[in-house]
Amino acid sequence: MAAAATCGTGAGSTGSMVAAGGKNNVTSFQRRGPRASGSDSSYSRLVSIAGTRPSVRNGQLLVSTGLPALDQLLGGGLAVGTVLLIEEDKYNIYSSLLFKYFLAEGIINGHTLLVASAKEDPADILQELPAPLLDDNVKKDFDEDACNHKTAESNIKMKIAWRYQLLPKMEAGPVSSSRFGHYYDASKKMPQELIEASKWHGFFSPEKSSSTLNIEPCSLTHGYIKLLQFIQNIIYEEGFDGSNPQKKQKNILRIGIQNLGSPLWGDDICCTENGNSHSLTKFLYVLRGLLRTSLSACMITMPTHLIQNKAIISRVTNLSDTVVGLESFIGSERETNPLYKDYHGLIHIRQIPRLNNLIYDVSDVKDLAFKLKKKLFTIEKRVE
Amino acid sequence: MGAGRGKPRALPTRPQYRASAEGGSGADPGGEAGPAWSGVGGAGDVSRPRVSGRRTGACGLLPLPPTTAPNGSSGPSRDSVEWEGRSLLKALIKKAALGGEQVHILGCEVSEEEFRAGFDSSINSRLVYYDLFRDPLNWAQTGEALPGGPLGALQAMCKRTDPGPVTVALDSLSWLLLRLPCAALCQALCAMSRQHACRGGGPAAEQLCVLGLLHRELHGPGPTGALSSLAQTEVTLGGTAGQASAHILCRRPRQRPPLETLWFSVLPDLSLDLQGGPPLESQPHPDPHTPQVEPASHLTFNLHLSKREREAKDSLTLPFQFSSEKQQALLRPGPGPATSRIFYEPDAFDDLDPEDPDGDLDV
Repeated sequence: MAAAATCGTGAGSTGSMVAAGGKNNVTSFQRRGPRASGSDSSYSRLVSIAGTRPSVRNGQLLVSTGLPALDQLLGGGLAVGTVLLIEEDKYNIYSSLLFKYFLAEGIINGHTLLVASAKEDPADILQELPAPLLDDNVKKDFDEDACNHKTAESNIKMKIAWRYQLLPKMEAGPVSSSRFGHYYDASKKMPQELIEASKWHGFFSPEKSSSTLNIEPCSLTHGYIKLLQFIQNIIYEEGFDGSNPQKKQKNILRIGIQNLGSPLWGDDICCTENGNSHSLTKFLYVLRGLLRTSLSACMITMPTHLIQNKAIISRVTNLSDTVVGLESFIGSERETNPLYKDYHGLIHIRQIPRLNNLIYDVSDVKDLAFKLKKKLFTIEKRVE
Repeated sequence: MGAGRGKPRALPTRPQYRASAEGGSGADPGGEAGPAWSGVGGAGDVSRPRVSGRRTGACGLLPLPPTTAPNGSSGPSRDSVEWEGRSLLKALIKKAALGGEQVHILGCEVSEEEFRAGFDSSINSRLVYYDLFRDPLNWAQTGEALPGGPLGALQAMCKRTDPGPVTVALDSLSWLLLRLPCAALCQALCAMSRQHACRGGGPAAEQLCVLGLLHRELHGPGPTGALSSLAQTEVTLGGTAGQASAHILCRRPRQRPPLETLWFSVLPDLSLDLQGGPPLESQPHPDPHTPQVEPASHLTFNLHLSKREREAKDSLTLPFQFSSEKQQALLRPGPGPATSRIFYEPDAFDDLDPEDPDGDLDV
């Protein structure tokens, strides 16, 4: 590279190889083009955005969903430009927890957040995010969790497989100093200074949509139109779609939409079977178009158990990229089933996208259950 | 700008009401349209309006013990034709009025006189009643009706409440659901609590409790599901053989919702009486005890061991079962590959003879 200046004779040629004579370079080939070690970092070949990593399978840029176990199930993380749809559990306990993990991960990584809700003020949602677990505390928590779990079984000495006694019994703990995927303590709140240092935009539907306009069927409801316009404005103004060439480091926009499809958005698919059944699907279609052309990732929680028309659920599933369903055991007959006594619910991975790929990245185990320990949310494969 | 949710207000001063034996008598199914006990589930969450419950088939009275009575939003109480919920609603209104709260009532299904019957005069003077029963469409144009129809009435009620603890009772959400789109009703109910929270002074002042009565038989699963998801506490009235019960589901934001069933009755003076359990004589269909599901019960092979089999299994010597010091020596990492030791443990069939080591060979 240092010899590029002297290779002026070859500079006019279109070839990328310049002969360098008499230099002490090892190779006589020189790469033409911007220097990788140049001072202008915006031209660096590797675009490394905080909190992202390329997928090991096809190089797709991934962000973490906030739950490393879920990242692993989705093939490494959530792809940038896609929609993750969470089908809410019946009492909306665990889905709102996943929503908060997603937002907390954005704050920790320094991403820009866009929070949209019709039920709660986004500022209130941000106040209730879980605190990140620091590395030294995490190992301690995992150790004591492992101890509590294994005390009953540690007295059994293995007769046949005695060589495995020395193997560590605990599950893979969090990797310290990981840049991708953090653990959160659900019992503590995120410190205020982290929230204030982050950049976020809130969309609270009752404030933005002032009047109840009379809309014709098959069109978007008012709340959805306003939300799409809001998202489009943010993407354009802040340059997530490359419209303003950013001089500063590129960043990811994390969009979180809570309770989409509930009556509070003005949509009546949860109330009747023959309502405006195209509003939600149109919204998802337009949203996906916005996301594909920008550096953003979106998580939507939807109360699909309330949707009366089952055809809409399948359409919604097709229009989303990744769909995860949560089913909690509260109030159902499975609560008393001894198979499920350690767990709080089941996770169903309903759909995984096939992005730039011919095959799916599905895990082989479909029986997944989750439990919310007092601090951590874990997903485990159910072993018979 | 929501000032945030108010903290749940403890209600230590709510008196325990005595209940009489009234209540729980099944009304004839063909009778009045809306007899039902409305359970008021005031759950602790303050800022969320509770939606009324549904009508279930039975009347249930649902008194909440003071320690768990939530403040703030109310729940829907469901009733049914057999079990009337309006008495419960009135009992809870009385409780709120005695507690010093402002009480606003939107009456749609029964006339004002009929609703006010049963309250004594002191309480009656404290109730603010909005009558939509007499002239819902404002044909008489007297000028005292609330403008904007039912939705306008809801919004007007919200504007007229003073800051402070308020209980709003909607005599029938079913009536409103039949006339308004469900989504608009849900939005209006949420807006009520938010506007009240905006106008309230501090967190302690913004206590809005919305009680609603819903007749479950009148609606499909859609509207009832939508209203339930908004509600903080849901009270479903039921009962067996003359005794009313209330099945309470109380949603808390981050915890599992506790489900409980209380037996109650409403006295003629509209007091609530909590009873412990179902009356002994009325157990016509006791809940069958759900048997524990045994995972290994439907297999075609036998996984259980008898006692003799277990003993035989325990006494079996395994082929590579070493003595414990050999195991420890193997588990401990040795000093290195330089030293290697040979461990030999004689088997049961070995016959060691130091003088003649090859004695067992049949040569």
